Amino acid sequence: MLPVYCPSCKSQLKVKSLKCENCETEVSGSYDLPVLALLSDAEQQFILRFVINSGSLKEMASELKLSYPTVRNMLNEIIEKIQSHGTK
Amino acid sequence: MEQNSVNMYLFRPFVKIAGWKAFGLGLILVLLTAVVGKYANVMFDGVIDIHFTDNVSFAHSFLFLGIDVVSVVICMYVAGLLVSRNFRFIDILGTMTLARTPLTILAVFALFVQSPDMEEILHNPMIIMSYTSFIILIIITIPIVIWFIALMYNAFVISVGAKGIKMTTLFIVALIAAVILSKTLIHLIV
Repeated sequence: MLPVYCPSCKSQLKVKSLKCENCETEVSGSYDLPVLALLSDAEQQFILRFVINSGSLKEMASELKLSYPTVRNMLNEIIEKIQSHGTK
Repeated sequence: MEQNSVNMYLFRPFVKIAGWKAFGLGLILVLLTAVVGKYANVMFDGVIDIHFTDNVSFAHSFLFLGIDVVSVVICMYVAGLLVSRNFRFIDILGTMTLARTPLTILAVFALFVQSPDMEEILHNPMIIMSYTSFIILIIITIPIVIWFIALMYNAFVISVGAKGIKMTTLFIVALIAAVILSKTLIHLIV
């Protein structure tokens, strides 16, 4: 999984450089990580499954073998996390 | 997430089951409680009340449990609306009905209990000591009622999806309101 926090001081990491594997060109700078990359692996998987299930919480609940409100609460937690990252 | 632990099945079954499924299962158990309660001579005359009585009719047994469920569902739904608009009524109805499962177990226990006559107790309170099964029932009632309240709390937390001290306070207030509402309705109807 992509590291997103500094192992030393726990601050959010930034992208310093990107490299083209074809021509070896390197682009340097200081880029923010996309919000989705800041979420945990489980949360990213949840979002992927949510999109694949056409945004249906009922289908998600049936797939994950969890109740509807549990899945809705999981989604609410991810929304809160995305919103908090958005305001930073 | 403790998806398959004993703790989850005992205290947080609503992680797995809610809505119509929980309501269907809960309703079967509530009806079973009413039938067993009639034969065990126990009355559930309040949201968290259980009393021994001489003769319970089927009508009263069903009516009291119906009032209990309606009272708790109304109060928890209104409390839920104060912290969130993002939840379904059916989840409150289903989980709160299923949360009454411990009362079914209590009613089954009560079937095997010989209860002393109330007048006898008033005349000589120490007579209760000769009714061992009754004392055992009183002792097991305490953890079962705690389990029942814990289930209602988790039903509220999972169905409404709110968190924090405000939600806990609202649950306590809603539970007290449900007790008062159920007692009032039973007093007015019976």
